Amino acid sequence: MANLKDLKLQINSVGSTKKITSAMKMVAASKLRRSQEKAESARPYSTRIEEMLSSLTSSNISGEGVIKLLKGTGKKENYLIVPVTADRGLCGGFNSSINRETFKYIKSLEKEGKKVNLITIGKKSRDFFTRSLKDKIIESFIDLGISGAGYDMAQQISNKIQKLYYDEKFDVCVLIYNQFKSAMTQTVTNQQLIPLDFEHKESENENIEVSNNSVYIYEPDESEILKDLLPKNVSIQIFKVLLESNAGEQGARMVAMDNATRNAGEMIDSLTLKYNRTRQAFITKELIEIISGAESV
Amino acid sequence: MESTIAFDLVSPEQLVFKDKVGMIIIPGKEGDIGVLPGHSKFLSSLRPGRVLVYGENKNLLKSFFVSDGFVEINPEKCIILSEEVEELSALEKSSIEKRIQELENETSEASKREYLIVKSKVEALEAKYYEKI
Repeated sequence: MANLKDLKLQINSVGSTKKITSAMKMVAASKLRRSQEKAESARPYSTRIEEMLSSLTSSNISGEGVIKLLKGTGKKENYLIVPVTADRGLCGGFNSSINRETFKYIKSLEKEGKKVNLITIGKKSRDFFTRSLKDKIIESFIDLGISGAGYDMAQQISNKIQKLYYDEKFDVCVLIYNQFKSAMTQTVTNQQLIPLDFEHKESENENIEVSNNSVYIYEPDESEILKDLLPKNVSIQIFKVLLESNAGEQGARMVAMDNATRNAGEMIDSLTLKYNRTRQAFITKELIEIISGAESV
Repeated sequence: MESTIAFDLVSPEQLVFKDKVGMIIIPGKEGDIGVLPGHSKFLSSLRPGRVLVYGENKNLLKSFFVSDGFVEINPEKCIILSEEVEELSALEKSSIEKRIQELENETSEASKREYLIVKSKVEALEAKYYEKI
């Protein structure tokens, strides 16, 4: 039979864990609201830039340099995979699902004979891939949470990726991140960053394109604007992904901590029951001893 | 014809300005662009410079500094996208000039770019503009 004191200690420790998890849940909830607001306020910019891009790309432009961001290098041999995770844990399957998916994706690409490199974003993916695929990591970006996933960070990442692209280190760049559906659900998404995923974009913006395509005056000409616009688009896509991932992290943590709090509550209930039963058993046993002692006298 | 045009000034982090205004002057890549209601459809990239926003009776409402970006104009709406937007009154000349001195000694690609932007900040501060048209 369990010791009463041990049970009491156990109840207390679960209780303090519960306090921590419920506090973390509150913090995550308020952070979630803030990062959702941020994602919200970034949306006008990214949708506008996508619209501009779609109205520009419908005209047929070819050329070297920046235009390659749009059309690709013509090969699909070298892949750059960018998994986006959080810096911290305790958020359910948020990080591990990204890492698992990325790992699977890399393996399938390697089976097809492609070469794969990695740029990791977030401490959790850095740690995971440093253990498993160290030689493939080109660079890691961490501490996104501290700056609150600012635009500067996105720009740094974007510059790095573009530099590698112009040096012909890779042909295709894919982001793997948690898309923010709601506080409850995040789906792991593969987004092709370079070259621009054309068909996908066009079907999305079809209506807009028809309405405002034909009669624009461009200054300077279309290809000049496109040259400015394409690198911006890469940065803004990354920025969007960072914000979504950040909101998703908070959502995932909120849900995970909510579950943990509930589980702790259940555990306290069952432990308290056990404690009371044990106590009762002790009392009964003592009574029996007294009574049987009295009888024998 | 409408006497106002909707004007949005958007940076990646937030929507900086959104209202109906009388006129906007924008630093286009190939020269300043004045936008009045009913402007024809137009798309341009920007150079670093100032954006002047005038109200319906053509008095100056606000002035911003933009580092770069794009403008999209149609008869009802004008949208500026820029990575760095600052209100002109929030810029301090002394700190900018200090920054210029620092940048003059650097040679990296990024600092050259920033140098140009900072330089045009000073120009934007010093340039003449009309309080009322």
